[in-house]
Amino acid sequence: MRILQEGRAEYLKVDPDGYRAHVREHKPHQMVSKLMTHREAVEKLVRDGDYIAYDCNYFQRGPASLIREVIRQKKRRLWVCGKFTYVACALLVEGGCADRIDIGFIGFGPWIARAVREKKCTINEYSNAIMTLRLKAGAMGLPFLPARSFGGTDGFERSGCKLVEDPYTKQPIILVPAINPDVALIHVHQADEYGNARVFGTGIAHQECALASRRVIVSAEEIVSTEEIRRDPARTSIPHFAVDAVVHAPFGAYPGTVQGYYACDPPGVVEAMGAMYRGDFTEYLNKHVYSVGSHEEYLEKVVGAAKIAEIRRRETIREGYCI
Amino acid sequence: MSTPAANFNEREHVICQIARLVEERYIYWVGGGGEPLSAALLAKQVHAPNLQYLTEDGVVGPEPLVPFDPLMTMIAARANYRALQWQTMNYAADVAHLGYVDYGILATLQVDRYGNVNSTVVGKYEGGEGRRFGGPGGADTIAALAWRTILVTDQQKRKFVERNDFISSPGFLDGPGARERAGLPPGTGPWRVYTPWAMFGYDIDCQLMLQGISPFVTVDQVLEEMSFRPKIAPKLERLEVPTEEELMVLRTKIDVAGQVTDRGRWIEHRDGKYVFADR
Repeated sequence: MRILQEGRAEYLKVDPDGYRAHVREHKPHQMVSKLMTHREAVEKLVRDGDYIAYDCNYFQRGPASLIREVIRQKKRRLWVCGKFTYVACALLVEGGCADRIDIGFIGFGPWIARAVREKKCTINEYSNAIMTLRLKAGAMGLPFLPARSFGGTDGFERSGCKLVEDPYTKQPIILVPAINPDVALIHVHQADEYGNARVFGTGIAHQECALASRRVIVSAEEIVSTEEIRRDPARTSIPHFAVDAVVHAPFGAYPGTVQGYYACDPPGVVEAMGAMYRGDFTEYLNKHVYSVGSHEEYLEKVVGAAKIAEIRRRETIREGYCI
Repeated sequence: MSTPAANFNEREHVICQIARLVEERYIYWVGGGGEPLSAALLAKQVHAPNLQYLTEDGVVGPEPLVPFDPLMTMIAARANYRALQWQTMNYAADVAHLGYVDYGILATLQVDRYGNVNSTVVGKYEGGEGRRFGGPGGADTIAALAWRTILVTDQQKRKFVERNDFISSPGFLDGPGARERAGLPPGTGPWRVYTPWAMFGYDIDCQLMLQGISPFVTVDQVLEEMSFRPKIAPKLERLEVPTEEELMVLRTKIDVAGQVTDRGRWIEHRDGKYVFADR
């Protein structure tokens, strides 16, 4: 295949055979219970230097409670899959956890800008859908996939993509390198103890993220029985064999929404956005991460019962969310 | 109800221009927020109840419950209420790859002679010196794959530049044939640029052409707020001001908190003319 142009950014090593070997050796082929706490899951499965993906974001059905735990445990040198996200990347960079980001869309803010200027953080450029396509390639066990977007942009030069001559049509086409993240954090509506998980409503790439990643932590609003999963198999978004830990995380997306379960908390969203735009998360991290030792303590002491009742009440739409 | 309004701001005016373009017979992929989404929501409320749009979370044809919570223009239950289908981002990209998306509607920080989109950096990219923004997000997929792309931006010299500081999403790149050479599907590309003051199309050489003008500015004022001189159509269209009905829907149903519309200068009807208000 003739290569016409190449991006010059470093990209996560493409290794589908290595991933297959990992799946054979380390993925849980048998149904085993994987219930654990936030602390146990992050201690066990998130490692310094990991390529980390999370699905959705800190405001939109994202694994906010797991992101706070990653910061609490002071993980280091993470390389972040920064698609469809506002503040989570900034939180991870300011928390000292991340120093590389593949960007689709992130809330940049002055802190990351400063880290980039001081060469403490490296940015590679993609788009949201190019990043989800990279995950899809990883989730298909392939080294790359073609796309008919991203060509001609200045981001292409700063990516790991290639422009090649398609051997079938002879037209130029973009190839995107697969990603198999070391670890993925995915927040879902329901999961059983084995990790069979259900997402209701739209999403970004939860299924691709789960299938593509070496270690997968699913946090769930509700732990349901396997009987319940078997009652409606078409609702299963993620199969148990892709999942390494299941964390019960009610209100785990706070201050964001879990569609059908609870609305976002506007003051909580504004507080995080404000900290990002000021370029100072110190106060935010102290209050929302370091002041407590667990998600349960966070809900009790920082969020509070009244707020929880309010965000549940404000989510008036139930249709389609299986409740 | 379709009385021309006597008081409105620039942002409201440009949202109304784009909303009026929207038709039920097409499928739209709309940038997830700001003027593009407000325009689609306005059109759905006012004249196109069966409007079908996608956003990048893979929602197809929702009948959203407005107003939305802050930032919750995707994923959230209100935004995706009563949709025809719920899917994910790769699905939205597939639909666009297939050619179902007739129009994309996007906001941009800068636009150049060839209609390229910048949502990455204003100033110098290298070394992180310029003012950095979020990145292309879903816009690159829309600008690459929608048959026609509508851009919205402000009429400011720093926003209309000879060449963008960064091409985040493709317009015509550097002229005829460039999109195809870069691997993008033929027959796609920029179609209109709207600002509160003016409307631009493109000529046969893929270059921006002034085609319409708002009643509260002159051609010279528009050209003054551009860093390059565009081609000018022989006859300029007049961009009609918002109606009272459009404004009522926009203010009471869509952007109640003024997140999108609460900036820009005000315009009033005085002595038979539309002029910038003093306040």
